[in-house]
Amino acid sequence: VCTSRFWFNYRHVANTLSVYRSVKRLGIPDSHIVLMLADDMACNPRNPKPATVFSHKNMELNVYGDDVEVDYRSYEVTVENFLRVLTGRIPPSTPRSKRLLSDDRSNILIYMTGHGGNGFLKFQDSEEITNVELADAFEQMWQKRRYNELLFIIDTCQGASMYERFYSPNIMALASSQVGEDSLSHQPDLGIGVHLMDRYTFYVLEFLEEIHPASQTNMNDLFQVCPKSLCVSTPGHRTDLFQRDPQNVLITDFFGSVRKVEITTETISLDRDLAAVESKFPKDELATEPLKYAEQLPVAQIIHQKPKQKDWHPPGGFILGLWALIIMVFFKTYGIKHMKHVF
Amino acid sequence: MAAPLVLVVLAAVTVRAALFRSSLAAFIAERVEVVSPLSAWKRVVEGLALLDLGVSPYSGAIFHETPLIIYLFHFLIEYAELVFMITDVLTAVALYLAVQDFNKVVFKKQKLLIELDKYAPDVAELIQTPMDMHYIPLKVALFYLLNPYTVMSCVAKSTCAINNSVIAFFILATIKGSAFLSAVFLALATYQSLYPLTLFAPALLYLLQRQFIPIKLKSKSFWLYTMQYASLYLCSLVVIICLSFFLLNSWDFIPSVYGFILSVPDLTPNIGLFWYFFAEMFEHFSLFFVCVFQINVFFYTIPLAIKLKEHPVFFMFVQIAIISIFKSYPTVGDVALYMAFLPVWSHLYRFLRNIFILSCVLIFCSFLFPVLWHLWIYAGSANSNFYYAITLTFNIGQILLISDYFYAFLRREYYLTHGLHLTRQDGTEAMLVLK
Repeated sequence: VCTSRFWFNYRHVANTLSVYRSVKRLGIPDSHIVLMLADDMACNPRNPKPATVFSHKNMELNVYGDDVEVDYRSYEVTVENFLRVLTGRIPPSTPRSKRLLSDDRSNILIYMTGHGGNGFLKFQDSEEITNVELADAFEQMWQKRRYNELLFIIDTCQGASMYERFYSPNIMALASSQVGEDSLSHQPDLGIGVHLMDRYTFYVLEFLEEIHPASQTNMNDLFQVCPKSLCVSTPGHRTDLFQRDPQNVLITDFFGSVRKVEITTETISLDRDLAAVESKFPKDELATEPLKYAEQLPVAQIIHQKPKQKDWHPPGGFILGLWALIIMVFFKTYGIKHMKHVF
Repeated sequence: MAAPLVLVVLAAVTVRAALFRSSLAAFIAERVEVVSPLSAWKRVVEGLALLDLGVSPYSGAIFHETPLIIYLFHFLIEYAELVFMITDVLTAVALYLAVQDFNKVVFKKQKLLIELDKYAPDVAELIQTPMDMHYIPLKVALFYLLNPYTVMSCVAKSTCAINNSVIAFFILATIKGSAFLSAVFLALATYQSLYPLTLFAPALLYLLQRQFIPIKLKSKSFWLYTMQYASLYLCSLVVIICLSFFLLNSWDFIPSVYGFILSVPDLTPNIGLFWYFFAEMFEHFSLFFVCVFQINVFFYTIPLAIKLKEHPVFFMFVQIAIISIFKSYPTVGDVALYMAFLPVWSHLYRFLRNIFILSCVLIFCSFLFPVLWHLWIYAGSANSNFYYAITLTFNIGQILLISDYFYAFLRREYYLTHGLHLTRQDGTEAMLVLK
């Protein structure tokens, strides 16, 4: 997702397209990618090299090739549309290419870039998404079983604040800078006139160019990308919600579509009892017991009605004191001799 | 005189009952001119519901009523409509009796001054006769009960009606001369909404007058009586506040009620002057201006006391009017209370200069309030400035009304002692000017 428009935010579009390019190169088809670009840089009237978006100066790498499929373009990139894509609450007329058709076995990679601050990301210079909204959207996704594991990468100023509020399981997050730090851009290109990339994504792109579908590089290497010496800001990551050890998570689990294909010549009969078939699959490295969806909802608490509270009554001392005062006032005004009229 | 009063009361009760049954009740109950955050019935119900759930009603900024109201409505919430109707009737009856007594006092004083030859010879037409004054108490009760403002307040079940009845009982007690009851009711009124504190001065002046104690700063009996009255008042106030502590076993109600009245945190529009100012003010000025606005309410007491020390009941009227114009959350119910007194000064009619334009202003503004509210909030084609303009005009109308009555009163007093046809030194006709 690229959330900024205007020509001088060229680098955000270039960031997003670089990650798009890597992801496509590693095997994920367009039907499985939702690309949101808030502005058109390739055909922008200010682009001296039309139909191109470069990610490295000297125009070494054109990330806007022939087969870029943008799903949400220009003014369609709004907070509402983004959250609708994530949670699946989409009007029925939305085409398939604009939907996130994931289920509970899908690993999702979310890359966002733009201008941000402490706890928010700016969309289109007119609205913001907050870290709380994002965390709640991810929780909705978890409860609706829309992901198995989720990798969230964000390249904005103070990006670490965006993943602070996540509370759903199986989320790993990376950010280009900590709270209070700005993410800086890489070099400008004098031929085009703007900064072409942000530093963090530039080094991530360099890192990703080394990956091929069979590589065994794991997440820990991704965490090392862009140390402070190169990036000026301190990249951060969050793995406490993630079940597996990042050491054992392959980059291609998220960035690529890698399927283990075994060719066998023996016939397998598919019977009800799948126990024999399951043992052929590689063992899951889940150290803890797998989280079941049903446990998320505190059903027992909801069904159980709370006993009705007893009605409040004013304390006896108060009533006594009040009426004593009223009677005192009454008799002070009218005299004791009227008491016989009362009784 | 009882029969016409009963008739008026019946008519008023019928009108209110009819309105309670109609669909207008819900509409009126949410109009901001009639209910304020201090007096809304919705908030009373909310507070009592919170209490039933085991939470203090003062946590959060919803409920700003005093604990005695909690106690009152805890048992009477089923009969709320009846309670408010009875409150209105009680207020009217209290005002009726008070004005009846006041008329007797006025008449006695007048007779005394005539016999002492204090009046100029040609002021026969200015002197009030018992015949004129016969119907005034009925008119006062009528003005209060059938005033559209009061009817709307009652239908909206705004607790302003209870404030009004306490103030009415205080006036009755003062005019009857009982210092003890007057102090107790004044303490109750101050406890309910902070501003009746300023009514201490007129009540004191009236009671001193009744005891024939001259108001001289050096006189010992003056200070003695003042100390007595002040100590009665303060003691009853302290007792009531301490008693309220025992209702919920907490002092939460003090910041919620008095802190709320004084610091005006809620800026819901109403017919007063506070909300617009504080909505557009910068934070660091708000404390200063809150102090300025609140001092404005209390400020007029001492100068008016000096000027009107011979006429404490008129002073009370002006003071009630000032409270209802300048208080932090005024509603039309407060306006109705001082308007009920206008028949008492009906003999000032010939001296009122702006009465036509002022009544037009007040009536027009009352009609424009809902119109501009609708335009602002629902139609979106106006903004808060429009509503504020009507608020301003309404308040200016009220202020001019009060100052008109004030001027007319003083003018009459001057004519009474100096004669109707004033001449300057050289014999030409003179004009009386209020400086």
